[in-house]
Amino acid sequence: MYRYDEFDERVVRQRVAQFREQVGRRIDGSLTEEEFLPLRLMNGLYLQLHAYMLRVAIPYGTLDSRQMRQLALIADRYDRGYGHFTTRQNIQYNWPRLRDAPDILEMLADVQMHCIQTSGNCIRNVTADHFAGVAADEVEDPRPTAELIRQWSTLHPEFSFLPRKFKIAVTGSAEDRAAVAVHDIGIRIVRNAAGEVGYRIIVGGGLGRTPMIGKTVREFLPKDELLAYLEAIMRVYNLEGRRDNKFKARVKILVHELGAEAFIARVEEEYARLDGPSLNVDPAELARIAAYFAPPAFEALPEGSAVLDQAAARDPDLARFVRVNLYPHKMPGYTAVTVSLKPIGGPPGDATSDQMRALADIAERFSLDELRVTHIQNIVLPHVKLDEVPQVWAALVEAGLASANAGLVTDIIACPGMDYCSLATARSIPIAQEIAKRFADPDRQQLVGPLGIKISGCINACGHHHVGHIGILGLDKAGIENYQITLGGDPGNEASLGERLGPGIDAEQVPDAIERIVDTYLELRHADGESFIDTVRRVGLDPFKPVLQPKEPARAAA
Amino acid sequence: MAAGKRAALPLVLTASDLLDGDVVFYAGAGWARGLDEAAVAADEAQAAQFEAILAETEAKGDPVAPYLMTVRIDADGALVPGHVRERIRSRGPTIRTDLGPQARQERQHVSV
Repeated sequence: MYRYDEFDERVVRQRVAQFREQVGRRIDGSLTEEEFLPLRLMNGLYLQLHAYMLRVAIPYGTLDSRQMRQLALIADRYDRGYGHFTTRQNIQYNWPRLRDAPDILEMLADVQMHCIQTSGNCIRNVTADHFAGVAADEVEDPRPTAELIRQWSTLHPEFSFLPRKFKIAVTGSAEDRAAVAVHDIGIRIVRNAAGEVGYRIIVGGGLGRTPMIGKTVREFLPKDELLAYLEAIMRVYNLEGRRDNKFKARVKILVHELGAEAFIARVEEEYARLDGPSLNVDPAELARIAAYFAPPAFEALPEGSAVLDQAAARDPDLARFVRVNLYPHKMPGYTAVTVSLKPIGGPPGDATSDQMRALADIAERFSLDELRVTHIQNIVLPHVKLDEVPQVWAALVEAGLASANAGLVTDIIACPGMDYCSLATARSIPIAQEIAKRFADPDRQQLVGPLGIKISGCINACGHHHVGHIGILGLDKAGIENYQITLGGDPGNEASLGERLGPGIDAEQVPDAIERIVDTYLELRHADGESFIDTVRRVGLDPFKPVLQPKEPARAAA
Repeated sequence: MAAGKRAALPLVLTASDLLDGDVVFYAGAGWARGLDEAAVAADEAQAAQFEAILAETEAKGDPVAPYLMTVRIDADGALVPGHVRERIRSRGPTIRTDLGPQARQERQHVSV
């Protein structure tokens, strides 16, 4: 885990003090709302449908137990006893009061956390693979790179007023779990033919109203050139990105309008002009950062665990949890446990303060004091001994956190939607809840296999619907919530955008439609357990189109 | 809300409380937390008056983000927001009926 140095600490504390003064001046009337708005947004404080909302950055989704306990305490003391984990690996509080916001920021600073750059037209919280440091297929842990970018981008004076917000994701694995192809910049840590570690840089991906898959602008960037190269990309975007139209201001539009080749030429031209050595990080500093992410003190353990095998043989619920929610660890005798925040019928991504404390306790005792927030709105315990999985599972059952559905049809991503968000055009959460109830039977979920449903309550696509195997987009059709369904999206290595299945349908028709899509898939899939996405890629959308038609009444025998 | 196009009659004036973000409604002598206490503009003259109050509120910045909202009056005389978004905003999240104004009203019912 990264620990703030004196400089990080000072930046965050100063920002809290500044915001405390700004809030005071807003309340006493010396700042107008217009003057105050950008100041509160710079500190992650939005005004939503029912109340203010505070978005807290969780850099690359990594937390320790002390931080998780503090998040729980904030939820109890200043909010309504729960928090919402988001698709950007952040946490949001839905009910904070303006006058309490500086105290909340102070409590966050006490555990080296903040809300800086969780809003506004700047470089936002950097996200990373939630199995960083765990996955066997990893070239390198992506978090030192993400942390370096965090430090470089924090309060970067040149990039504080970009044309629009800017999101960067990093993965170090062969399998992309960070959705790098749909970020403004996606970074893949790779090895070249000579065996050197460097970066593949992808620019111009994104979701929202104009979804795009990013373009590779550099196949291999030597590792020590990262910051200067990022600086060149950002400078081209900052100068040439559109500022006349908010909807065309993201870098994806610039890349698209210029064409990838011309964009690359501009970046390379800018890069050649920059004084790289003055911008790139001193290798000693990079080594200092990387040392914080050195593998923890793993014990030498045998492969497998007789203790776990025996416990699972006795308890089918544990056996199911092991089958579904465990991810192989690179170290023998260890595993990563996905804690699903998707109980059947619950709001995706929500956790109560009691659950946060339970997770902190479990992480401290069983996961080398580490937790990860995933962009799928779950929590990962990254370093659990296989022998101790039964104890972890029992503790999760106790906390109401043992849903065995990671990666299955009920592990649904949903944005807050019109239940909370002032931008939403339709509700998302109730749709997720109803679909989950339809597929509550764990055997049926396992039969269906890996299937990602992603729901957004407006065109801004916080629920990543474009890259859902099944995507659902909620819109307002003459005052009625209406839902468009897309199929074939995928956020991973073969990133693809979903295609619309047909006209939108009403909320109450959605669960039926999803059920019929799944049934159609089960009829069509190859006997070898072909996954949903592979089936859709093979057969196309046509076989699924009838599901949007109203069911025909039973015909009388001729 | 599209610029230049005012909400249809009848309408109320709503905003968010500066200090706690609560949804508030213009109630004639001040701002109230419940839609049932809202003042209603039923004709053009009253709507024009509400527009003037809206402009004043914007200038003052407290409460924040004011706007006019269409309502209908149901058979019992209760105000019902015209759009589903506004119905949710005036009551609270539909998935958490223990939160927002709906919970406050619930508590009031219990205590009376």
